[in-house]
Amino acid sequence: MADHRRFTGGDQVIEVDGATVAAIVAALDERYPGLGEALNTASSVGLHGEIHAEPTYLVVGDDDDVYFVAPLTGG
Amino acid sequence: MTATENRPTYKYVGTRPVRHDGYDKVTGKARFAADLMLPGQLTGAMVRSPHGHAKILSIDASAALAMPGVKAVVTGEDFPTLDPTDPNHDVSVNVMARGEVYYHGHVVAAVAATTKAEAQAAAAAIQVEYELLPVVLSIDEAMADDAPIVNSTNFTRFVESTGESNLGTVNKFDRGDVDAAMSDADIVIEREFNTVEVHQGYIEPHACTADTGADGKTTVWCSSQGHFAVRSLTAAVLGWENARVKVTPAEIGGGFGGKTTIYLEPVAARLSEKTGRPVKFAMSREEVLRATGPAPGSKIKLKVGANNDGELVALDCWMAYATGGFMSFAAMTGAMSIASYKLPNLKIDAYGVLTNMPKSAAYRAPSAPQAAFAVEAVIDEIAERLGRDPLDLRLQNAAVEGDLTAMGMPHPKIGFVETLEAIKNSEHYNSAVPDGAGRGVATGFWFNIGEQSSATVNLNEDGTATVITGSPDIGGSRASMALMAAEELGIDVYSITPIVADTESVGFTDVTEGSRATFATGMAVVNACRDLITDLCGRAAKVMGVEAEAVQWVDGAAVSDGHDPLPLAALTKQAKRTGGPLTATASLNAAGAGPSFACHLADVMVDEETGQTTVLRYTAAQDAGTAIHPSYVEGQMQGGSVQGIGWALNEEYIFDDDGAMENASFLDYRLPVASDLPMIETIIVEVPNPAHPYGVRGVGETGIVPPLATIANAIASATGVRMTSLPMSPPKLLAALNER
Repeated sequence: MADHRRFTGGDQVIEVDGATVAAIVAALDERYPGLGEALNTASSVGLHGEIHAEPTYLVVGDDDDVYFVAPLTGG
Repeated sequence: MTATENRPTYKYVGTRPVRHDGYDKVTGKARFAADLMLPGQLTGAMVRSPHGHAKILSIDASAALAMPGVKAVVTGEDFPTLDPTDPNHDVSVNVMARGEVYYHGHVVAAVAATTKAEAQAAAAAIQVEYELLPVVLSIDEAMADDAPIVNSTNFTRFVESTGESNLGTVNKFDRGDVDAAMSDADIVIEREFNTVEVHQGYIEPHACTADTGADGKTTVWCSSQGHFAVRSLTAAVLGWENARVKVTPAEIGGGFGGKTTIYLEPVAARLSEKTGRPVKFAMSREEVLRATGPAPGSKIKLKVGANNDGELVALDCWMAYATGGFMSFAAMTGAMSIASYKLPNLKIDAYGVLTNMPKSAAYRAPSAPQAAFAVEAVIDEIAERLGRDPLDLRLQNAAVEGDLTAMGMPHPKIGFVETLEAIKNSEHYNSAVPDGAGRGVATGFWFNIGEQSSATVNLNEDGTATVITGSPDIGGSRASMALMAAEELGIDVYSITPIVADTESVGFTDVTEGSRATFATGMAVVNACRDLITDLCGRAAKVMGVEAEAVQWVDGAAVSDGHDPLPLAALTKQAKRTGGPLTATASLNAAGAGPSFACHLADVMVDEETGQTTVLRYTAAQDAGTAIHPSYVEGQMQGGSVQGIGWALNEEYIFDDDGAMENASFLDYRLPVASDLPMIETIIVEVPNPAHPYGVRGVGETGIVPPLATIANAIASATGVRMTSLPMSPPKLLAALNER
C-alpha cells in the first residue's frame, strides 16, 4: 500500500526471502524498521489471485508475488 | 435469464425450490427480534442528544428513577472506557456517549421500566446539561485548516498520525506517471461529484432483548448480520468475556450492511444485569434514521484521460467520504473499488472525514456506488465526446484476469467482459429507445470476501439431514446451504433441514458481509458433507466387505463393483452398527472470494416541467459465478438495483444547521416503492469462481454499484444535462434543466 512507502523511501516493489508471510514481514521489518507492525495491523495479502485475511502463516513459494493490500470489508 | 459459461450441470444446484423458511415468513410465524416476550420483561428507552456536538456536563436521573415503573437507569459511567486505539472503542462510545456527544441522536442514557410509556416518560425526565460545541456537517468544513475537531479521540489511520484531526483514514494508490499520461492524452475530462448520506432502509428496525441470569450470564436475542459479532462486540463494550454472552439470532428483516454492528445490546444487557429482569429495546423508525449508520456522503474530483481510439490512459482521483462522528474505512473501500479498467496510469488520494453526523455504516459494496457514479459518468462522457457506443468503449477497456486493480494486485478470473456482452446481446439493448426517453449504461463490481465460517451436518436415522450454520439467513442462505448439501449427499433438498444456530451451538462464524455467506459458509457445508461422504464410504465398505478405497459415492449411494448400491438411508439406518452417529463439522478461513461484476442498462423519461424522472425499463446483468438458487440471485440483483435507483433519484439525509435530521421518517425520506419502478429484468452471468467447489461468487452487494451512474447517464441521454450531484430529485434536476 502506498501509505507504507513512508517506511520504504517510496519503493513499491521489494524483493525479500521468506517461506511464509510472517517471514516476509519480518524480513521487511528488518530492512525498514516499523513496516512490519504497519503490515501486521492493517493488511490482507493477495497471493495467486486470492485475497487472504489474517495471512501470517500463509506459505509462499520462491518466485511468488505477494501483494500487501488494505483489509477488505463489506456490507 | 442466465448466460452461462461452460460449467458442470448439477441435479440440485441451480434449481429453484421454495425456501425452507418460506412458509414461516409468509404466514407471520417467523420470529423477528421485536417479537420476543419473556416473563417479567422490561422495556427500554434511550435518551438521545438534542445537539449535533456538545460536552455532557451532568446527567441527573433522580426524577426519572422516582417515577412509577422505572427500574434502572444507565449512563456512560456504567460502561468501561476503552482506549481510543482499541478496535472496539468507537462502537463502545457510539452505543453510549462518554462525556461528549458527536451527533444529534447520540445516546447519553437509557432507562428500563415496566411499560414502554413509563420508559419513555422517564427518559424524557432525565436532565442532561450540555456545553455546546461547533457542529461540522460537510467535508469541506471538516477538512479546512481551522476546522473544529469533531471527535477528540480520533486519530488518523494508515499514515503517521499528527495529533488531533478530522481525518479518520488516508489511503493513496498510484502507479505509472499520471501527469505525463494526462498531458499526452487526446481527451481529458475532469468533473466533481457530490453525494449525500443515504440509509440502508431495511424494513425491520433494530431490536433486541437481553436477559442476565443470577450467574451473570446474558442471553441476547436480536436481529443482526452476524450473531458472533454481536457477542464479541457486546462483551467488549461491557468489559466481559465472550463466554458470558450467548446470542440467539432472530430472523432478520433486512440489513444491507447496516446490521453488521451493534447499537442496543450492551445497554439492554447492563440494564438487565441491574434489574435482574429481561430488557427489550425496539427502535422506532425515527431512531433508526437519526442514529444508525447511513452510507457516507462523498465528494469526488475525478480526471480521466483517453486517446482518440478510445483507450483509457490515466485516472486521477481525489475522494473524500463523510463518515460521521467516528472513523470508518469508507474512503479506503471507495479507493479500492474504483475503475476496473486497463489503466496503466492511476492516482487515487482517498480521505475518510469525520463530521457531526451519525456514525456511517456499511451499505452493500460500501463506498463503491459513489465511486462508480463518478467514474462511469466520466467514461460515458468520454464515449459521447469520441462518438463511441458507451458499451463498446467499456468493452475495449474492461479489465480481465491479470489486469491490475486500483490497489495494484492483479484481478483473478473475473467476468467483467461477459457481463458487458450479456447486456450488449440483450433484447433490451437491441430495442429502440422509446420516443423522448434516454438510455444509460454503467458498470460496477465488488471484491467480495471470504473469512471464517463453520458448519455441522448431522445425518438422521432415516437418511434425512440437518445442516447447521452460524450465518443468519438474510437473502435465502438456508435454501442455498440445503441445495449444496443436497448436491453433495445426493438426497432431496427437502430432506435437508437447514438451521441457523446460536453462538453456543455451532462453530464461530464471521459476520455476513462482503457477500460471503453462500461462498464461505457454503464451502464449510460442502467440506462437512465431503467428510461425511468419506465416513459413509468407509461404513459401506464394512457392510460390503471391501476396502474403503473400493467404494465411491454416486448419486446418493455408496457404490462398489459387484455389490448392490447402498443408499444413504440404508447406511444411516445401521449407523449404530457401523460406528455410531454420522455427523461432521467443518470450519475454515476462506480465501478466493471471486469479485462479481455487473452491467446495468436503463431507459428513463424526464418530465421537463417538473424534473421528475420515470424509469421505463431497467436490466441488470451480473456475474454470479454459479447461481446456487437463481431466484435469490435475481432477488439480490433486483434489490440492489432498486436501492441504487432510490439513491440516484430521491434518497437523502437533510440536516439542519445543528445536525438534526429533518426528514427522519419514510414519509419524508423517499424510498422507491413497487409502484415507482418497472420490473427489474435480470441476466445472471455465470463465470465460475475457481476457488469455490461450485464456482460461487457472492452476489449480495454488486447490484447497488452501477445504478447511480446508469440513471445519471440515462438522464444525460434524455436531456443533455449531466448531473454530478445526488440525488437527482425533481427540484435539483429541474434547476439543472432550467440552466441549460
